[in-house]
Amino acid sequence: MSELLARLQSICGPEHVSDVLADRLCYRRDCGPTPGGVPDIVVRPESTAEVVEIVKLANEVRKPIFLWGRATTFVDFGVQEGCTVMALDLMNRILKIDLENQIVTAETGAIWHAVDSELNKLGWEMAVPGGGGMFSCTVGGTVAYNAVPHGITEYGVTGEHVVALEVVLPDGTVIHTGSAANTNAPLPIERGANGPDLTGLFIGSCGTLGVITEVTLRIHRIPECERFLFYAFDRLDDAVDAASAIQSQQAATFLIGLFGGPKPDGVEGEAFLHAIIRDTTVEAERRVRAVQVCCETFQGRPQDPGPTRRYWTEHMYSWLRNTPASAYYGGRPYYCPEVAGFMPTQALKEAIPLLHKYVAENEDFARVGMRVKGFDVYFSPNAAFLWVDTLYPEMDSEAWQVGLGVRAEIAEMLFSRWMSPGGIVAGIAPYIMPRLGTTYALLKTLKAALDPNNVLNPGVLGLGGDND
Amino acid sequence: MTDDLPLRAVAQPIYECLRCAFCFDLSWLGAANLCPAYAYGAFESYGARGRIAIARALLEGELEYDESVAQRIFACTECRACAEHCFKYIDTVRIFAAMRRDLAACGLIPPALAAVTDGLAETHNLYGKPHEKRLSWLKDKSRVDHPARMAFFVGCTPAYVRRTLARDTYAVLAASGLDFTVLSDEWCCGHPFMAAGQQERAAEVMRHNVEALKALGVERVVFECPGCMRTFREDVPEVLGEPLPFEVAHVTEELARQVEAGRLRFDVFQAGAVVTYHDPCTLGRGLGIYDAPRTIINAIPGMRLAEMPRHGRDAYCCGAGSFVRYDYPDFTDQTGHERLREAESTGAQYLLTACPACVTQFQYVRGQINSPLQVMDLITLANRLARWR
Repeated sequence: MSELLARLQSICGPEHVSDVLADRLCYRRDCGPTPGGVPDIVVRPESTAEVVEIVKLANEVRKPIFLWGRATTFVDFGVQEGCTVMALDLMNRILKIDLENQIVTAETGAIWHAVDSELNKLGWEMAVPGGGGMFSCTVGGTVAYNAVPHGITEYGVTGEHVVALEVVLPDGTVIHTGSAANTNAPLPIERGANGPDLTGLFIGSCGTLGVITEVTLRIHRIPECERFLFYAFDRLDDAVDAASAIQSQQAATFLIGLFGGPKPDGVEGEAFLHAIIRDTTVEAERRVRAVQVCCETFQGRPQDPGPTRRYWTEHMYSWLRNTPASAYYGGRPYYCPEVAGFMPTQALKEAIPLLHKYVAENEDFARVGMRVKGFDVYFSPNAAFLWVDTLYPEMDSEAWQVGLGVRAEIAEMLFSRWMSPGGIVAGIAPYIMPRLGTTYALLKTLKAALDPNNVLNPGVLGLGGDND
Repeated sequence: MTDDLPLRAVAQPIYECLRCAFCFDLSWLGAANLCPAYAYGAFESYGARGRIAIARALLEGELEYDESVAQRIFACTECRACAEHCFKYIDTVRIFAAMRRDLAACGLIPPALAAVTDGLAETHNLYGKPHEKRLSWLKDKSRVDHPARMAFFVGCTPAYVRRTLARDTYAVLAASGLDFTVLSDEWCCGHPFMAAGQQERAAEVMRHNVEALKALGVERVVFECPGCMRTFREDVPEVLGEPLPFEVAHVTEELARQVEAGRLRFDVFQAGAVVTYHDPCTLGRGLGIYDAPRTIINAIPGMRLAEMPRHGRDAYCCGAGSFVRYDYPDFTDQTGHERLREAESTGAQYLLTACPACVTQFQYVRGQINSPLQVMDLITLANRLARWR
């Protein structure tokens, strides 16, 4: 037994540490395309105190740690060969539901949807539904990634609703952010308290600057009613203009555009908008009317909103295309080298045709059996979050290489003109971080200051590891 | 790894795995476990996503079958919850069955299960009892080997361990007016062999039972044990490479039909009694039978059904599936305790189920945790209260 293994076992107990290959192989890869490195050890702490000890030990032995929530990101997390993976799934308790102060505090490994389900029993919900694309994600991972959630059009990104964090810094120091930082009154009720927004420093940092161990999030009452609308357009530009109008009217809770990939089953058109509205009954009616006016002004044709409702209630993307999940997802050993990010809504009028042209002119696509899963857009309050999802045969090594090449080319195409990615982690970092200039330099400075031994997620976000 | 191992045949579904982790828990019910093996083993390698990652590593030569892999594959009740909730609709259990066959070929069957299947090959029953005692639960042998269009396949557990259940099932079928037969030379269905990855041994017993039933002119076989029924319906055609020459049905389906036809009514149970129903994994997710037991329960006067949070397709395993108690008793106990506590949380006084293995498991673990719940098989209760018209 290695000394490191023995010392980790002394911290967390032998049952929570493994160097068995069959275990280690399972902690290398997220939902992204590349396999990742196999860690030497997997350790599962149960408390912040254990996380502190593990981090201190990593500094002592200079062995990098990679953090593991549920690994449901799609862009390659970047686990390195020979590292220690610290899986945070045992830290999964809901610590406090505080309806008076409209917050919930949970440990980092609590499943977002499970926390939401507990709130639902009280008639409340997380301030952003969904917690990103996968409802199996963890609270801490979602915040660390700053996931783009369902309902972004009204509620914004996940990070906007984080009130306070408990973070273990790379040297083992435990800090609390926002109002929770006051050691005499550690109440996590307001993020904008006690000086600079240190909460924001860790949101989207992908675990490079500290280990998020507790998260306090805003909650609100479940809205009185939900309404659903679905529109088809013959022209992309009309759909984009309708979306812009809906954004300016603040009419939709969640507005989704389908601008590529399979068309919704049984619906004619070239571009499609799904709108979900959640509000009081009276206000929802006004907002429904606003969406209708915005769409019909730009030649949108109303469709049966059943697929929109099913998408929202069943959390299955397939319903956006009026397709049961079995038909849409089943039987395809494909992987998805996703590129996604924020861009101006009106820029979609240029970007989407460019993507279609790129696909049409790329001979490799047909040759390796590529599909376009979708050029789908989650509209934020004022911009567009475009997902460029292409699918490649998982079992074909040539297709795999082509897919990674396509990811690089699409990233170059979009990041050089309009797009800034949301989740970056390791897979997208090479394509965006060098474009950040002095901001990247500042991030490197922060990383070096907080994590001089590069023990936390080295290489993720292009920070630490071989990047410096 | 050689090219002819069964895992190669399921490479495509292995590579379909998205790694979404929907196979870990039932988050729409709060912090609720979905996979008992993951809850037990705790590392992802015990859950479906992890096991598929192991399968992929085996295919790609990064890992060889060994005892650590064997533990992660055999410490699984095959409850099918992972398959039921898979985002990509992958038949995960089929992948794990292929891995069991590979492990068996490598001599890596867990020791207790291996010993049980060795005994089974000798005695044709799971419990190593004399074969000639298989029908000792049945006094009136008039239907034995009597040519009929319908047969009652008893199964090892009712025949040797839960004989009351065998008698109750026989009684309700007889009272329903159906003409049926019982085999004098019934062998184990083959489920333990399949669980151990011993397909060749399974084929032998399957062939024996099918031929014996065909010889009596049977067109329909009724089961009390869901494990036997699923083995016949799903495994026998695959292993023997030919369609099953008769229909199969579960006794709860028969009784539900009689209830719906108005031929079967029930006496009052205890007035105000609250019961909860445990969906056996094999009856529910394995065979898709969720409504028939509830039809029977709801027809019993004076009984109120309180569902557990995890029920129907979301039901949590009792912990007994796939014979894991032989080698992983702590896993079985832990899972059984969790399910029993969930049943208690409904406020029920009675826990009903419709599977001899589940009943045996609950009877066993309720003593371990001093549960006040009374455990009953639904067929036994139905027979006790039945009023036939």
